[in-house]
Amino acid sequence: MKVAIIAANGGMFDAYKVFNIATAAAATDAEVGIFFTFEGLNLIHKEGHKQLPMPEGTEHFQEGFQRANVPPVEDLVSMASEMNVKMIACQMTMDVMSLEKEHFVEGIDVGGAASFLNFASDANITLTF
Amino acid sequence: MEVTVNKVVDAKGLACPMPIVKTKKEIDNLEPGMVMEIQATDKGSTTDIKAWAENTGHQYLGSTAEGDVFKHYLRKARDEEEKAETKHQDITSLDDLLKKVEGEEKVTVIDVREPAEYAFGHIPGSVNIPLDQLENRFDELDKNDEIHVVCRTGNRSDLAAQKMAGKGFNNVKNVVPGMKEWSGPTEQTN
Repeated sequence: MKVAIIAANGGMFDAYKVFNIATAAAATDAEVGIFFTFEGLNLIHKEGHKQLPMPEGTEHFQEGFQRANVPPVEDLVSMASEMNVKMIACQMTMDVMSLEKEHFVEGIDVGGAASFLNFASDANITLTF
Repeated sequence: MEVTVNKVVDAKGLACPMPIVKTKKEIDNLEPGMVMEIQATDKGSTTDIKAWAENTGHQYLGSTAEGDVFKHYLRKARDEEEKAETKHQDITSLDDLLKKVEGEEKVTVIDVREPAEYAFGHIPGSVNIPLDQLENRFDELDKNDEIHVVCRTGNRSDLAAQKMAGKGFNNVKNVVPGMKEWSGPTEQTN
């Protein structure tokens, strides 16, 4: 199984959508690749991914996350990395936002749209969040 | 239900996808054929573990629930079991065994799967002697009896039938393919 994911949004809920599917797929022996573009880059930004905003008006869910013992986003990111999930940061967005590779968590690649398309060309599942 | 397992994984209190992630990590450390118990409180874990097993090729045995805690049982895949090749010549089909089981005469069925596999569904009246215990339990069996040996795919039962034939049992039948395709009655161990 091969799973290709585009992460284009940068909120905390977006992070869970992306990394839950990615880690579950990796645990199911799938080859997983995520392309982080525009706000999606927040999800792998060294400091940014530790304090992602919740959608306005949903702050009360914070308690629910704790009650359900949902792991912090940074744990999911390092788990994904450990399980060899391929993470590609969008070069074009980085240029626009003046970001460098060292602003992001360890183990990511930087690439353009063609790198993602190449990875996704034979994927069984393609998702956009 | 008392089930013998090789490894217990504690995923209690963890939310999706952690039970699956933990299961994956731990199953990599097991030998093929070994049985794992995953304890979880995530209500979605029953369907998730089952689906995970389907996708990864591992064998999902079943689940139990005690209070808020689910216990899921998996057996790590063993590729050679899926091959149909068997060496013991004397075989019985599932249909023939079913006729005997439903008939009036007493029939001896030895199930050589792991206790956890047996617990979640076996032929009524069958006796569980896991393959690795067989050598020490020959004296429970009568050498002149007609003995039907069954496992999941016909592979472990083939090895067991060969061992028994080598010990002087002269009427041992390997049931093929095995419980994987058995459509007759089953019972569970409570």
